[in-house]
Amino acid sequence: MDATASSDGYQRIVEAEDLRRRYGEGEAAVDALAGVTVDFPAGHFAAIMGPSGSGKSTLMHILAGLDRPTSGTVRIAGVELTELDDRALTQLRRDRIGFIFQTFNLLPVLNAEENILLPLSIAGRKVDREWFDRLVDTVGIRDRLSHRPAELSGGQQQRVAVARALISRPSVVFADEPSGNLDSKASGDVLGLLRHAVDDFGQTVVMVTHDAHAASFADRLLLLADGRIVHDGDAVTAEQALDLMKSVG
Amino acid sequence: MLALVLRGFLQRKLRVLLTGIAIALGVALMAGTYILTDTINHSFAGIFHTADETKSVIVTPTQSLGKKVRSEVSPIDEALLARVRATPGVAQAAGSIFSPGSLLSVHHKRLGGGHAPEFIASEVPSRFESFAPVAGRRPQAADEVAVDEATAERSSLKLGEQVIVAGTGATARVTIVGILRFAGGQSFGGASVALLTAAEAQRVAGEVGRYDQLDVAAAPGVTPKQLRARIRAALPATVVVRTGAEQAAADTANLEEDLGFLRTFLLVFAYVALVVGAFIIFNTFSITIAQRTRELGLLRTLGASRAQVLRSVVEEGLLLGVFGAVLGLLGGIGLAPALDGLFKAFGADLPDSGTVLETRTIVVSLLAGVGVTVLAGLAPALRATRVPPLAAMREGVQIPPRPLPSKRALIVRFAISLVVVVAVSAASKGVGIVLLVAVVLRGLRLRYRLRHHGQQRKYRIVPALAGALGWLVSWRGITARLARENSIRQPGRTLVTAAALTVGLALVTFVAVLAAGTKATINQTETRSFAGNLIIESSQRGSEVGIPPAVAPALRRVSRVASVTAIAFTVGRRRGSSSNISITAVEPSSFERAYRVEWKQGSPSTLLDLGETGTILTKSYADSQHLKVGQTISVLTPSDHYVSLTVRGIAQDNAKLLSDLTISRALARSGFGQVEDALDFLSYVPGATDAQVQPVVDRLLEASFPQVRSRTAAQFKQEQANQIDTLLELIYVLLALSVIVSLFGIVNTLILSIYERTRELGMMRAIGTSRRQIREMIRYESVITALIGGILGLVIGVVGAILVTTFALSGSGYVQSIPVGTLVVLLFVAALAGLIAAQLPARRAARVDVLRALASE
Repeated sequence: MDATASSDGYQRIVEAEDLRRRYGEGEAAVDALAGVTVDFPAGHFAAIMGPSGSGKSTLMHILAGLDRPTSGTVRIAGVELTELDDRALTQLRRDRIGFIFQTFNLLPVLNAEENILLPLSIAGRKVDREWFDRLVDTVGIRDRLSHRPAELSGGQQQRVAVARALISRPSVVFADEPSGNLDSKASGDVLGLLRHAVDDFGQTVVMVTHDAHAASFADRLLLLADGRIVHDGDAVTAEQALDLMKSVG
Repeated sequence: MLALVLRGFLQRKLRVLLTGIAIALGVALMAGTYILTDTINHSFAGIFHTADETKSVIVTPTQSLGKKVRSEVSPIDEALLARVRATPGVAQAAGSIFSPGSLLSVHHKRLGGGHAPEFIASEVPSRFESFAPVAGRRPQAADEVAVDEATAERSSLKLGEQVIVAGTGATARVTIVGILRFAGGQSFGGASVALLTAAEAQRVAGEVGRYDQLDVAAAPGVTPKQLRARIRAALPATVVVRTGAEQAAADTANLEEDLGFLRTFLLVFAYVALVVGAFIIFNTFSITIAQRTRELGLLRTLGASRAQVLRSVVEEGLLLGVFGAVLGLLGGIGLAPALDGLFKAFGADLPDSGTVLETRTIVVSLLAGVGVTVLAGLAPALRATRVPPLAAMREGVQIPPRPLPSKRALIVRFAISLVVVVAVSAASKGVGIVLLVAVVLRGLRLRYRLRHHGQQRKYRIVPALAGALGWLVSWRGITARLARENSIRQPGRTLVTAAALTVGLALVTFVAVLAAGTKATINQTETRSFAGNLIIESSQRGSEVGIPPAVAPALRRVSRVASVTAIAFTVGRRRGSSSNISITAVEPSSFERAYRVEWKQGSPSTLLDLGETGTILTKSYADSQHLKVGQTISVLTPSDHYVSLTVRGIAQDNAKLLSDLTISRALARSGFGQVEDALDFLSYVPGATDAQVQPVVDRLLEASFPQVRSRTAAQFKQEQANQIDTLLELIYVLLALSVIVSLFGIVNTLILSIYERTRELGMMRAIGTSRRQIREMIRYESVITALIGGILGLVIGVVGAILVTTFALSGSGYVQSIPVGTLVVLLFVAALAGLIAAQLPARRAARVDVLRALASE
């Protein structure tokens, strides 16, 4: 991997510099991001929090190559995103990025196994059976592999989604409110899985959430308000996270 | 509510346009048909009016066997003309000739326009003349001719140039002395006219001493009606006497009847297209109502009654119907000339001038378009009324399905359909068997539904076919796999979408199988029956031009020719009957040298006993009329008198050369006024070859009878096959419209499905699916849907054709033939249709904005 090594010895998987994103024009223009510089080292679990409209989702979309910044640069594993055309960007998402969505977004016509393997099918890549088995056992849905999403609980669906995000061994997994649609038990399971992926597989995870409890699973907490990073620090407890949130209102 | 409907319309422009066009195409064909036939009718009415207005009274032969049947020996002779002239109040009377003939260049090239008829006309006194010379003059000598302007222009004929005019009586080489224009400026309906002097016209047309028509001018002070009454009293019943205006009206009515067939023929295709359009309306409304469940629930929550919900959906249908119908009507105005062009391309020249848009056309088109749309939208509209108010509150509330019919209701329904089928079968024998099959199928369905009572209907056929088709493309990977799964996600929807294509393809297949069978039958039966070497026929197949009686004797003198036997066709009507029977006339002594008859009763010597009083029946006619050998029947002939015929034998003829009755050639001439032959069969002496004889025959024909040509049996069969193919192609073109309509249905369904799956598409794009892969997926889905429709259509078409021919044509020697090549092509057409239909939806799906798609709920 050609990510640049930082002074502290970590590889920076995601690097963003002075990101700005403006929606609309003239008087009605809104700056969703007003100059964000941040990087995410390999093998870490970062949580991005912030009140509604703080720009946290916009930041994640831009980091993941789903949206383009008005100005600034994003590099993933050393590749400059802003210079890529749609096709190259699509390929980068396919090969380097894993996604976990709030609403699971599994294909209803495919069973769990097919959903997990979807990124490989799209890429036309061979399945590493060993890795697949390990993932299936880790997320604990081996007995549900032939079921379709409609036959799975929300927690089971999100675990399938986690396995899908990890199957292609991406450089980074972006999770957008992964526990937002789950009850507390299922929520804990899924977040535990993400923690596990970072600790045992060395996966890099960037999670956007407004749930302080979810944030407490991360190694690092970033707080966004009005399109700017207002806090960037080490892991905190759920209570501390909540206090931090309150401070930015 | 209407305002809401209107607003909804504007927001869904593309869908309104697509569904509107689906209806508009059928309406356009309907309107175009009316406009075309009205226009043709109008043109001819003008021609008849111009031709007849100069005449006070017109005398024509009586046509007791219908307006199409005319004795070739006209009852109007010089004596009759003399009696008219002697009638008080007649200022002037003249006989005229107007007979089908052939107009050729000196190099024997036809000068007529395509398939329009060519006529030999006689010069008449100037007050009766409908043609005026634009160059030169009218013919004055026997070797002079004047031709119509259109023909002269088409073949760039000049004054002084020589042409050949060939008729039943003679072939004449004449010099052009005039170019004529039809009075009133209209074209003469695409037909060519060669005007000769009266005597020469009679000679060439084979009517020496006779006329086709008498034109009479009244003396001053005598009204046409008075004169008509006087002339009527003076003439026998073998002629009809009409005033000029009456004659024009009669000719127009006659033509209208002919056009009726064309109109019905075309309207059938318009109806098919409308039915297919109805499928699409039904499907589109069903889908949109499912998608608008939440909105409809909100309306209910806000206090809208079921009736109001129903009305809002029906109003939407009404509005859409009006839009489609108006679009169709406008399209029809443009389509009418295209239809005319289509017929020209397929060899039928229909004259027309301008565009006649009758109120009836507008009313019928609008009614059809709006009616079909509203009716097709009714079931979905009723479904919309079942949306519970709860749907507004909750995600994913389904419209409750219609309560399943009870077992008793199912049985009652079956009983009703059984009664209907039995009644219809009793009314018409032919369709009875097909309906019987329908009953059996319905019975099976009833058994199934009773056995699985209480379950919602499943569309097993869609997953089965989609599974098989998906398996075929499974090597294409995930896109094909997803396409397959998506196509069976809503099997009912896929089935209705496919069904629209099924209708068109089933009809195409049905016609194709029937045509293949007919060709195979012709090939087999003619090969079995025809024992001669050459067939002599008119160069203008299908025209009224026949073979002059002098041809057969001339051919008998060609060396290496062993025998020539002439065959003629005529019609008659049994005493007391109101329908015509067809009659074949043969030359008893030589017929069986060239043709094998399968005798049921009688033997080859029976032919020799025919004389002028005997007849042979086909087995089917004898059976249907319960006639036996020895019985005598009385038959009215085109010459307007009865002949008595005794049944001498009964024969089977699968090649259909022998008609209901077969009589001797001599009787056809003397009793039926049938002068021309339809076919001559020529047999060689043993050992002679085509290469030796045919060129000699052709040289003779070209020199003396240029309107006639020779064909070997193989050439003859090939041309019959070509004729069938031409008709088949015409039907294909007209059915193509229905297939195009169903394309719009596929496009519509795909777009609506894609809209439903926006989030899925967004996710797929987010995790790295390329636009190309998305497009590919949609294309596969479309092709799978189209192929489901295609396969069902093929199966229905083939089975339908086999059933119909097996039962309706049993015993007629029909040979089944399945045109496998055509069917394979049709499957490719279906797949291609799917591919074309997928273009727009695929592009839309690929353009889905990832962020917005993921954000949409």
